[in-house]
Amino acid sequence: VSRRDAEIDDELASHLEMAMRDHLARGEAPREARRRALLELGNPTVAKEETRSVWAWTRLEQLATDLRIGARILWRAPGLSATAALLIALVIGGNMTIFSMVHAVLAKPASGIGATRLVTVGWVTDGEEHPVTSYPNYVDVAAASRTLKPMLAQQFGRVVLTPRDGSYAVQGATVSTNYFDTLKIRLALGRSFEEREGLSGTAGLVAVISHHLWRERFGGTPTVIGQPMTINNHAATIVGVAPPDFQGVVFSEHADVWMPFASYAEVDGQRQILTDRLAQAVFMIGQLAPGVSLSQAQAELATIADHLPHVPGDRARTRTVQLFAYSATAAGDSLVAQRGPWFLALFSIVTALTVLIVYGNVANLMLARAVGRAREMAVRQSLGASRTRILRIFVAEGLAIGSVAWIAAAIVAFWATRAIPRMMPPLDGQGSRILFDFSPDGVVLGYALLLILIGVVCISAAPGLRAQRQALQPLLKAGEQGIVQGRSTISNGLVVLQLVFSVLLLTTAGLAYRSLSVLGASDLGLDTSQLLLVTINTRSAAATPQANGALLDAIVDRLRPLPGVRTVTYARRPVQSYWPTEQIAGGVAGQAFAAERDEVGPDYLRTMGLGPVAGVDFGERVTHQGAVAVLINQRLAEALWPGQPPVGRTLRLGSYAQPVEIVGVMPDAFYNGYRRQPDANFVLSSAAPQPQEMTLYVRYSGSLDDVVPEISRGLRAVDGRVPIVYTRTMDEQLEGLTWPIRALTVLLATFAIGSMLIAVMGQYAAMAFTMRRRVRDFGVRMALGASSDEILASATREGLRLTGAGLAIGGVLSVAAAHGLRSMLFGVTPTDARTYVGVVVLLGAASLVACYLPARRAARIDPMQALRDE
Amino acid sequence: VTPPKTDLPQGTLDLLILRIVGLEPIHGYGIAQRLQQLSRDVVQVPQGSLYPALHRLEKRGLLAADWQPSDTGRDAKFYRLTSKGRAQLKEETANWARLTGAIQLILRDAKGGAA
Repeated sequence: VSRRDAEIDDELASHLEMAMRDHLARGEAPREARRRALLELGNPTVAKEETRSVWAWTRLEQLATDLRIGARILWRAPGLSATAALLIALVIGGNMTIFSMVHAVLAKPASGIGATRLVTVGWVTDGEEHPVTSYPNYVDVAAASRTLKPMLAQQFGRVVLTPRDGSYAVQGATVSTNYFDTLKIRLALGRSFEEREGLSGTAGLVAVISHHLWRERFGGTPTVIGQPMTINNHAATIVGVAPPDFQGVVFSEHADVWMPFASYAEVDGQRQILTDRLAQAVFMIGQLAPGVSLSQAQAELATIADHLPHVPGDRARTRTVQLFAYSATAAGDSLVAQRGPWFLALFSIVTALTVLIVYGNVANLMLARAVGRAREMAVRQSLGASRTRILRIFVAEGLAIGSVAWIAAAIVAFWATRAIPRMMPPLDGQGSRILFDFSPDGVVLGYALLLILIGVVCISAAPGLRAQRQALQPLLKAGEQGIVQGRSTISNGLVVLQLVFSVLLLTTAGLAYRSLSVLGASDLGLDTSQLLLVTINTRSAAATPQANGALLDAIVDRLRPLPGVRTVTYARRPVQSYWPTEQIAGGVAGQAFAAERDEVGPDYLRTMGLGPVAGVDFGERVTHQGAVAVLINQRLAEALWPGQPPVGRTLRLGSYAQPVEIVGVMPDAFYNGYRRQPDANFVLSSAAPQPQEMTLYVRYSGSLDDVVPEISRGLRAVDGRVPIVYTRTMDEQLEGLTWPIRALTVLLATFAIGSMLIAVMGQYAAMAFTMRRRVRDFGVRMALGASSDEILASATREGLRLTGAGLAIGGVLSVAAAHGLRSMLFGVTPTDARTYVGVVVLLGAASLVACYLPARRAARIDPMQALRDE
Repeated sequence: VTPPKTDLPQGTLDLLILRIVGLEPIHGYGIAQRLQQLSRDVVQVPQGSLYPALHRLEKRGLLAADWQPSDTGRDAKFYRLTSKGRAQLKEETANWARLTGAIQLILRDAKGGAA
């Protein structure tokens, strides 16, 4: 290209030389000869450019030239270019980080899973969603389905593992034998399960253990394969070790031991769950067969579910399936899975808004510079550069900034997605952290590229349009100011736009934050302070529910008198994201209700900081023999016996309609943690549960450091075979349930505040720029007698007019947006006054500072100086 | 006194260049001079478009060029017709004759009708 350039230069030069010689020959003076020769040739720059463009054969080549020009321009104004690139890099980097995380949390499978197109099978009973179904249902559906093949089943639980050196409580899962093959997981050592091991009647229990457990408890030696150990008091043989990155399919339920479902049920004496269709036990994942869509699979499975055998005693009217794409969180009735789509929607809005704010800002910066360069552009145009060409220069600049910003944004995002998981709390009390892969993948990089391209358009269009409209003449005249006087509507418009987006973002984040704070601990209706949760496992120490009840009573009796312990109780399930639902019947009309149920110990209500509304609490002792006593919540009592005392009446509980006696009515509260429906029914039963994992609730006084060791000593004294699974306070437990949402809300808020700062900075820049342009105006006014205070007031007022417009438009849009999102808000109205007042005060104050500072500088000018400078 | 200048109709510049280069190898300045002389100063070639036109023809393979010393002593880029250019010149000339003949006919008839 450059050789061609030189040749064209030479050719034109020789032309000029010959023309000049001819003019000289006609007797013209040398200066005149040169002038006429040049005149004849016309604009040499245009001639050269057009001649060269004959040879510029690809658009790509032109793009490269443009980029080179863009880079050169940027290099000449490094401060401004760096600011622009940095702003874009930060906002895009931030967006990529959040998008990566949301993508990872909501869409990615658990780590280590090689299979794709996996689908979670959810069950809907009478309109209520449940993640689980019965084992025989799984067997029938898996055998019948052509669209989901293969299909796996798993049940999650904690087990007591006894290798040679003691008892440990670990998390485990019983699974269908095709589990590892379906997920396409290559074991690190040994083998997966064989089909015959999934049939009942096989001799011996086999297990696959996690890589983590293998390293921690078995020294990481290959001889572990074939080694015997005890699981929940049953002899088992280790046949395989999972790869290091795999810890189960659901991120909140990571497992260390996997056993075949059927053979475990067999050795554990729970053979009935293999045939009982009402025992809702297993969670199902299937893989879409090649060429099958999710909706096709949904249709087929709905038909199969319709034809599942009806069971006598099943009160459910309808049972059907609901398929959804598998991800590590889209499983179960978890808060994350429920609120996921909400956050995804919110995230999309936030992204669009922050990015637009920053682009508005950068466009304003570029515009400010374009005004400074108006003279340069005018010279270029007068030399024959076409308007398209000028626009291309701006696009080239935009592209150069965009490319730098994209790379920088990717670096920011890669760094942040690696840093953030290190700050997350461990989800279980055993020190294992959640294996999350947040790093941006191709989808995320492509998404960022799209945002950048939109940005390039925004930031080149503003100055480009301005250049198109500009009159050349005044700029070229000698002595005329290089800056056009007057106000820029584009620039003001951009400031208002930024403020509008900022308001929208702040209100959205504010409402989200307020919805979250409504989910705060106090609103559970329980006293969560100074409450300790100690999860133990009684599998090794008790064999029957009766023995389990006796053991638990012994533990409570032992712990109650300890120093620092005020009351003690126990529950089958702690506060968590899911309790099983049971059908209950009774009441005036004998109608059926669904209620969440738990089995609890003595003094339950008292330990929760509550008292019975009617009747009694379970008292210091609960009976495990004879008639089972239950507590029901107020709402259920009202529904069953409107206006009548329920205490002393009989309720029928569960699929088998077991009669139980109501001994008390408890206040409405969220005994199980956060729920979508605020009107859940609860039943607490005194029946002793099967020996398994139990959680002790200890209401303590004084220091936690003193109480915890006392409790472990007390437990050891009762029975050394009862391991403590983990210990935490109620507040920690609740935080564990809500941290993903809390974290996302904090990110949202960070974003909103960040974009507000950026918008206000933008307003400051625009204001400062306007003030600079109007120095002469102020000078004249002051020379005519305006005081500096008057100038200050009028300039500030002028700036705040934009703020007013931004707040007004933004407010209206926010109300509209919040109405659209109403179904996703929890406990706050779309016109939540506190949110709006907060936003107005916050943004108004920041904006005032942004207007006041440049106005003050303008008011301080010396009028004589200002006028002389002109 | 210079006679009034007339702009060249679109597309005719290429034809004129081919014609002039067809006489003998010649440089750009020479072409401009020759055009002016031959048209008795009526045709004003916008010289800004001369070089793009020359390079366009060179790129299409109708002209070839090399650097030779000119009569000033300095090297200049001399253009000459390729065989492809010669064929093109013949065809364009015929086209032009047909077109101008047709236009003449129309103009004459229209004039007669009006009279």
